[in-house]
Amino acid sequence: MAAAAGGSRTYSFKVVLLGEGCVGKTSLVLRYCENKFNDKHITTLQASFLTKKLNITGKRVNLAIWDTAGQERFHALGPIYYRDSNGAVLVYDITDQDSFQKVKNWVKELRKMLGNDICLCIVGNKIDLDKDRNVSVEEAESYAESVGAKHFHTSAKLNKGIEELFLDLCKRMMETAQADERLKGNGSSQSASSRRGVQIVDDEPQATPSGGCCSSG
Amino acid sequence: MMSQRRGIHVDQSELLCKKGCGFYGNNAWQGLCSKCFREENQREKQKQIQEDWALAERLQREEQEAYASRHQKTQSQSAITPFSKFEERKTKEKSSKVNTVTKFFIPSTKTPPKKDTSFDSHSSPSPSSSASRHSFNDGDQATREFIDFLKPLKSGREIFKQCRAFTESMVYKRDIGADELSECVQDFYQNLSDRLHTQFKGSTDHVESVMDEVEKYMMTRLYKEVFCPETTDDEKKDLAIQKRIRALHWVTIEMLCVPVDEEIPEVSDSVVKAITDVIEMDSKRVPKDKLACITRCSKHIFNAIKVSKKEAASADDFLPTLIYIVLKANPPRLQSNIQYITRFCNPSRLMTGEDGYYFTNLCCAVAFIEKLDGQSLNLSSEEFDLYMSGQASPHWPQPSGASLGAAAGSAALSQVHKRLDLLTGLGERQERVMEKARQLESDLIDWTDEVEQKVQSVLDSFPPEPENPAAPAASGTTAAPAAAASSAIDSDNVENELLPPPLQPQVFAG
Repeated sequence: MAAAAGGSRTYSFKVVLLGEGCVGKTSLVLRYCENKFNDKHITTLQASFLTKKLNITGKRVNLAIWDTAGQERFHALGPIYYRDSNGAVLVYDITDQDSFQKVKNWVKELRKMLGNDICLCIVGNKIDLDKDRNVSVEEAESYAESVGAKHFHTSAKLNKGIEELFLDLCKRMMETAQADERLKGNGSSQSASSRRGVQIVDDEPQATPSGGCCSSG
Repeated sequence: MMSQRRGIHVDQSELLCKKGCGFYGNNAWQGLCSKCFREENQREKQKQIQEDWALAERLQREEQEAYASRHQKTQSQSAITPFSKFEERKTKEKSSKVNTVTKFFIPSTKTPPKKDTSFDSHSSPSPSSSASRHSFNDGDQATREFIDFLKPLKSGREIFKQCRAFTESMVYKRDIGADELSECVQDFYQNLSDRLHTQFKGSTDHVESVMDEVEKYMMTRLYKEVFCPETTDDEKKDLAIQKRIRALHWVTIEMLCVPVDEEIPEVSDSVVKAITDVIEMDSKRVPKDKLACITRCSKHIFNAIKVSKKEAASADDFLPTLIYIVLKANPPRLQSNIQYITRFCNPSRLMTGEDGYYFTNLCCAVAFIEKLDGQSLNLSSEEFDLYMSGQASPHWPQPSGASLGAAAGSAALSQVHKRLDLLTGLGERQERVMEKARQLESDLIDWTDEVEQKVQSVLDSFPPEPENPAAPAASGTTAAPAAAASSAIDSDNVENELLPPPLQPQVFAG
């Protein structure tokens, strides 16, 4: 999905934000894109679709962050949201064991649907509430490693760990995109990758509704 | 009489078409007959388009000359120019022979006007003319705008040529499946944008804007052929979702946990606007415009959420609200529109852009509505079935309800009784009013009779005195001549009838 402009490349990445309600997905992304937390004077109308322009080692990156509805009843709609996404940020609340279980379900589902094309980040949010921690650091980090994801600890309130999280995710997505390109050869790579995307748009809605994802929950 | 005849004579010569074709003309058509007027009109349009292109060409040439003089060393650039011009001319000549409706939009400077008019006046039924006639006016408009947009571009002519050729070829392909159609269009988008990138060295933004116009032009012309085509079951799906949404009319804000408070005027205003926008989507032709409707709808939803909750809306708030809006709006041909957008929209917009995000949410809302069950509304499956079958509604108490329901029912019943009593009371009062009115009427009639009788009796008891008929000072006598005078006038009128009838104008021969 990365598009070329003349000689220098501009990458556009789609990142989905997954996680139960109340884990602080919205705060996290608002803090990252607008550097705001619980601001009384909110000017942003919405925090469900946000963009961020980055410059990583001289390469321009456009990040589109898609928030998803975290309620259990919308769980089955996940595949519609995350098709064609390059990365996923899976957020849980370190004080809430349940939310960590949900993350595990998401990971299973994403790996099943998108394989290794997607870069995963597992994020334990609200580390300012460390005294109430219910998910142990070791458990979370070993799980992340076992599924090929990176683990981060963040606090949207204290603005900790968020920049690092997205920077790392972007770097990994760039590597994946470059590897993809090398694999497909240089000339036809763009049209090939775009065509693939189009076909997925055509076929996926019918092909991947809800399915077995609920059974694991 | 003479003037009359002269009038007809003058009219006769003036009524005829100025072109002398023997038919009658009309002032509204500048004295031409309908046929000649149309020819004239087309010729003028043609001329206008030709002039526009000539201007565009001149500007382009000037620009190129300026460019060439500035960059002396880039000789290759100027060497290419004449060749491309030659090619353009060739295209023009070739295209002028193509007998289609789109023909007179083509910058055919060499086409003699005679040929053009003969084509237009007889409108020879070429295969594509009948197919695209119904979308003629929109297509006309779209083509015009497209040409206007491409005019200042160096490669405009080339782009237009390709798009037109492709659009025409698509008309013949309408029997193939919708997915293949989509494939064709998407391939075309891809190839064209690749070419714009490599061949014409356009910047990304520039290419995007050109591709937007290309999409607009092509989809406006192809809309009738590719929207909800017969080869798909889109229409069936439309009806299914429409029926489904109708059956779900009882779903409330509380069940969906929608975080908007419709009591606030601004919020309900935004909700109404959102509903209007999502309904409006069906009236647009270009995928991009349809997406814009969804985006506007979403913005209104965000506003409603923000006013209600006093914080920026997250997806957790947005999706339920969107579902609620879709349920309330029941947008026409929802599935067809979604399919049309997925098939024919520019892929880059759909995959990463903001519009794409809202569109995805709409798809989610539709998927949710299709699969909706009691559990997803926090209802038991029995309740859900009752509501779906129409045997119960969350808006009024259940008939099979327990004591609470019965109590509520009796309360409602007593209220009904109270209203009935009130109604009968009102009826009685109205009866009384009517009776009184009738009485008043008869009283009035009686009163006038009485007055007349009294006057009569007074006149009888005081007969006019014959002793002093000519007393001029008396007030009563002044009235007498006046009355006489008036009667004299009346009698005059009566006499008029005895007069001979008024003279009739006589007609003399010669």
